[in-house]
Amino acid sequence: MSGFDTLLAQSTAPRAEQARALGLPTPRVERWKYVPTRTLARTAWVAPTQRDTDTFALSGGQFLNIPTVDGLTEVQSGLTESERLRLDAMATAHGFSLTQDALNGHQLILEVGASASVTLTLEHLANLSLEAGFATLVIRVGSNASLSLIETFEAEAASETNLDSLRMLVSVARDGRVNHLKFQAANAGQLIFHAVDVDLSENAQYTLDTIDFGSKMARSDILITLSGRHANTDVRGLALCNGSQYHDTHLAIDHAVGETTSAMMFRNMVDDKGEATFNGRVLIRKDAQKSATEQSVANLLLSERARVNPKPELEIYADDVTASHGCTVGSLNKAELFYLKSRGIAEADARAFLQYAFAEEVVERVAHPQIREQIETRLLGELTHGELIAELKDALDV
Amino acid sequence: MLVIRNLHARVDDKPILKGINLEIQAGEVHAIMGPNGSGKSTLSSVLAGRDEYEVTDGEVIYQGQNLLELEPEERAWAGIFLSFQYPVEIPGVKNIYLLKAAVNAVREHRGQPELKAGEFLKLVREKLKIMQMDEAFLHRNVNEGFSGGEKKRNEILQMQLLEPTLALLDETDSGLDVDALKIVGEGINRMRDPSRSVLLVTHYQRLLDIVKPDYVHVLADGEIKLSGDFTLAERLEREGYEGIEAA
Ligand SMILES: Nc1ncnc2c1ncn2[C@@H]1O[C@H](COP(=O)(O)OP(=O)(O)OP(=O)(O)O)[C@@H](O)[C@H]1O
Ligand SMILES: [Mg+2]
Repeated sequence: MSGFDTLLAQSTAPRAEQARALGLPTPRVERWKYVPTRTLARTAWVAPTQRDTDTFALSGGQFLNIPTVDGLTEVQSGLTESERLRLDAMATAHGFSLTQDALNGHQLILEVGASASVTLTLEHLANLSLEAGFATLVIRVGSNASLSLIETFEAEAASETNLDSLRMLVSVARDGRVNHLKFQAANAGQLIFHAVDVDLSENAQYTLDTIDFGSKMARSDILITLSGRHANTDVRGLALCNGSQYHDTHLAIDHAVGETTSAMMFRNMVDDKGEATFNGRVLIRKDAQKSATEQSVANLLLSERARVNPKPELEIYADDVTASHGCTVGSLNKAELFYLKSRGIAEADARAFLQYAFAEEVVERVAHPQIREQIETRLLGELTHGELIAELKDALDV
Repeated sequence: MLVIRNLHARVDDKPILKGINLEIQAGEVHAIMGPNGSGKSTLSSVLAGRDEYEVTDGEVIYQGQNLLELEPEERAWAGIFLSFQYPVEIPGVKNIYLLKAAVNAVREHRGQPELKAGEFLKLVREKLKIMQMDEAFLHRNVNEGFSGGEKKRNEILQMQLLEPTLALLDETDSGLDVDALKIVGEGINRMRDPSRSVLLVTHYQRLLDIVKPDYVHVLADGEIKLSGDFTLAERLEREGYEGIEAA
């Protein structure tokens, strides 16, 4: 039984029946162990409608206003065989990923031409109450091309229960680059399910900055495969959970060949009754000699009832690799707090300073200046006593 | 200004201060010397309000009020400043944010008007000059990656900005080169004033040659074993603590 039964019953998609039969994953499914499925299960989800806008956006499972810019083309000829296989793999045998597959609305395939340089900004519009929108975006980045992909979320929408699901396949040809920035500040009623599967050819690069502030719950499944030599990836994430928010990132990096490098840095800051799950898995296969990976995961707990479920995993089958990892869980550092207070900074302000500092490790690295500003402003708004820092920034930053 | 009576403190059930008695009048500079691990930093930390240390007996009266009842920030507002033996690095917090926030917090509690950005920058540049510090230090994170000597200069920079009534300087001279020692020493001297007192922890006479103390105390095993004037420091330099304790 799931809240998608009615929609699945109406669907003629090949997997609809199977999805309905399997239902939502239970906590016994390892990857869904902590996911609160109650709203998913109990909401009577309805088919989505589209809203009006004049920029590139995702609304109710449809992409609107597909940009026409130099170097970017919309492909009409369908998926390649390997893309189909990767999408199939995303729809693993549990009811929700099958549901995503069966109820998929729009499947958009974009191609960035060789040596082109393209910026794409995709805005996720909030869906209307009880609407569940599912979409798939396939991006092929040509050799030596560069794509800056920015995802933002409509901030001031109503906070009624709605669902936004996006599956993304990204294939980067030799020497191509993708800088992906996602700033998720969705309204408090939204449930977000995003899956990204990236494949990197020789000397290709993928960077991801993922900032999760909003939504009721957000789940990201990220798989990055380094399949060409000198491919490299750098993933940085920050999740803030307040109230009873739940944020969950499952990130897997697969070093399939040698001389590939990866880095992941993830920060969770959890207050109130919030909960954050982070699963970071790095696999270095037997033949992936001379590869390097760095992993840094830190969790800051700000209240008694806050919870985190961090799980860094390092699986190395090659012998000539460099790997470092660290994972911490803790509250604010007492020595730092005392130092600030001894300078006359009030307790609440001192705490805000240290929370801001914790988040800044990720935020300060966001390359896009306007979005970084938006993230900082929002961050300071989220902190219980962010006003002092906001004032200082205003007064002192030029 | 400050009266410490029979102060006992411990950390994790381990007694460290075992009955400290000390009186500091306004305008005086007191130096505390003593072997490693004798409790000098513990004493300054207890005075600044670090809560790892549990006071088990005794009292501390600062300007007529019970100091031990105050939170660390309240002590700062009341004019107490601790220069840390090991200044804390705070990644992600810009030095200049801390400095401006601290100056204005302290000013507010002293009934002084808030310094606007321009006024603050003017003041901080003046102090940087005295400390011979580059303006780049303002925009780095608090103490992060600062060399040992740079951290100590940053402490004295903060002291200059906060204009404390009672400065507790814990080994501010350690790790300083000869020139820096002079800069820091003179930075301390500039603050000397009939209404200000200094409690200065040090292992060396070098700093005391610049900042002439009115009194020198020897703290050993959690107690003040001996007090005297400036000449006591010279004796310690010659004879070491063993000679003193035997005497
Ligand atoms: N947090 C703590 N936990 C355990 N022991 C502590 C703690 N803080 C201080 N001590 C112990 O208390 C004793 C006094 O330490 P303190 O730092 O006050 O010495 P000190 O006189 O400043 O020494 P130094 O000259 O080396 O700076 C030492 O034996 C030290 O190990
Ligand atoms: Mg000490």
